[in-house]
Amino acid sequence: MGIWIGSLREIVEKVVDTPPLKNLVNWSRIYSLWPAHLMTACCGAEFGAMMGPRFDPERFGMQSAVGSMRQSDLLLIEGTVTKKMLKRVKVVYEQMPNPKYVIAMGDCACSGGLFHDSYSIINDLDKAVPIDVYVPGCPPRPEALLNAVLKLREKIRREEVYPK
Amino acid sequence: MTEVFAKEQGIAAAIKEKLGDTVEEVRVDRMRRLSVVAQKETVKHVAASLQSLGLDHTLAVSGVDYPNENRVDIVYFLSSYSRDDLKDIVLSLRVKLDRENPSTPSLTPIWESSNYFEREAWEMFGVNFEGHPNLQKLLLQDNWDGPPPLRKDLKIPELA
Amino acid sequence: MRIMVRTDGDLIVEATPDIGFVHRGCEKIAESRNIIKNIPMICRPNIADDSHLNWSYVKPIEDLQGIEVPERALYIRSMLCEMNRIASHLYGTALMGGIFSGHTTMFMFGFGDRELLLDLFEMLTGARLTFSFIVPGGVRRDLPSGFKERLLKTLDQIERHLPAIDRIFVRNPIFVERARGVGVLSSEDAIKLGVVGPVVRGSGLLCDVRRDAPYGVYDKVDFEIPTFNEGDSLARWLVRYEEIKQSISIVRQLVRDIPSGPIARKAPLVVPKGEAISRIESSRGETNHYIVGDGSEKPYRVKMNTGSFKNLPALPFLLKGARIGDMPIIYGSLDYWPVEADR
Repeated sequence: MGIWIGSLREIVEKVVDTPPLKNLVNWSRIYSLWPAHLMTACCGAEFGAMMGPRFDPERFGMQSAVGSMRQSDLLLIEGTVTKKMLKRVKVVYEQMPNPKYVIAMGDCACSGGLFHDSYSIINDLDKAVPIDVYVPGCPPRPEALLNAVLKLREKIRREEVYPK
Repeated sequence: MTEVFAKEQGIAAAIKEKLGDTVEEVRVDRMRRLSVVAQKETVKHVAASLQSLGLDHTLAVSGVDYPNENRVDIVYFLSSYSRDDLKDIVLSLRVKLDRENPSTPSLTPIWESSNYFEREAWEMFGVNFEGHPNLQKLLLQDNWDGPPPLRKDLKIPELA
Repeated sequence: MRIMVRTDGDLIVEATPDIGFVHRGCEKIAESRNIIKNIPMICRPNIADDSHLNWSYVKPIEDLQGIEVPERALYIRSMLCEMNRIASHLYGTALMGGIFSGHTTMFMFGFGDRELLLDLFEMLTGARLTFSFIVPGGVRRDLPSGFKERLLKTLDQIERHLPAIDRIFVRNPIFVERARGVGVLSSEDAIKLGVVGPVVRGSGLLCDVRRDAPYGVYDKVDFEIPTFNEGDSLARWLVRYEEIKQSISIVRQLVRDIPSGPIARKAPLVVPKGEAISRIESSRGETNHYIVGDGSEKPYRVKMNTGSFKNLPALPFLLKGARIGDMPIIYGSLDYWPVEADR
């Protein structure tokens, strides 16, 4: 019975991973990217501006951050990650359900930025959390952040529904 | 240019008259800035007198590290909300401590607003405040194992 | 910031704040860079209120060097700071009136109006949020042509939106019921805890550095300082809301009266021996920078003291005895900016 269900699951995965079903699933993922607003430092102000009325991310399906990680699939790490905050970033990342994506926003999240020689920050964030898109800037303009979301959508469109 | 700051000189004279020998020095630095240097043995008495003169809250508490002179200073900046003639003055009360084992009585019982500032000075400079209600880590990560960060012992790479 | 609460049913018995999640060591880094290279880093702790921190850092250096700033530069600095105060208060009222109350209407109002001001900042300084515009001796650039007219037009636009906020929030029984009587801070407690800014003005004390110890050109403009006696969250929110109107009036007076002249005086790249402390009224309260110089081009010690750190003791004090549902409103009414408190 277990083998029967296992092979049924393989068949379903193979069917879903081919177009047109694959395109449908990826399309639905692209148009409902809900962000988890992890404002670790000052770039959060530009994230707030991006969620405002002028840049309007809701036309791309990014609803205003609901505040619960269990319902979000995009983690935006905005700003410097200090050693004290690193544990909490990992906890938030692990609480999010699959599929999940990470955008590192700002120079500080990409490589340490203005504070790279400080005694209390993490310079290489990608060793802790896998990052999909990097957005440089100090702070990046909201248009740059929206551009990063669009690039992420291109990436999601190409990837498999059930990655091995 | 030398200006005569009449109001500040008046306040300095009143402080000198009230405190006499318990302070080392009372000085007018510039407009609206006075400074008082006290010993750590008499700093509580000086603080109580300054509070009775009308200075009712702390603006900031800072430490300064002088490794060449083997001392760590703690500076309290005081001002007033309740007395109109003292509202614009900032008075800095300085205590000079030995760098090896700096320890001074805490002024939190007198000015409640010094609570978090003294905690930060303990963490950043290693100065012990005797009688402080809650000396625990405030800003640094839990497993910090280096020297107190704001001392000159901790060096960070200097940019060219 | 993490708040650890101990509750008895729905009432909070004790609350302990745990801060330090954004502690980046600004004070230590400032000792290893020269005074001009420090300016972008000093401004980052409060990115929404950049010019106040900038002025507060530059003022002790000018006091030690003994430089007198030209009049036109002081007018431009004050104009930039008041525009920044409007933008920051729109942010602060949007957060408490909107997100912490559970909806997004006020958030959209506040941020939409703020974008108009950010366009003006970009026209003047080149950046939306991080200007680094004030240097020892003056300011970096002069007002571009067409700036004054566009500024007055933007202020008219913002003023036209204010009656809508009045109708939807200030006189709305749902919002008022949420905020009135919540988190009351009496004036004696305010003096004892040493709180600053809109928090102390919402408790009935008329304390504002722009009036008590004027700097820049604040002694040449007429403005009122809104205070409310109730000391609850609604009073603190209303102080910010009224300050937007006062700042609009100050900027109009500055635009009318600005003189012509140089915008900067040449300042040496050195911090002379000595110490100085500054007092600037930023949007979240009084900001001080204490600078110790030793004669080199790098400061020996920079102590940054911001309004949010001074308001921090009010949080555990006000949360004691409150309900858990009131926690977002009390936190939002203090307008606590974590990056500024941790530096």
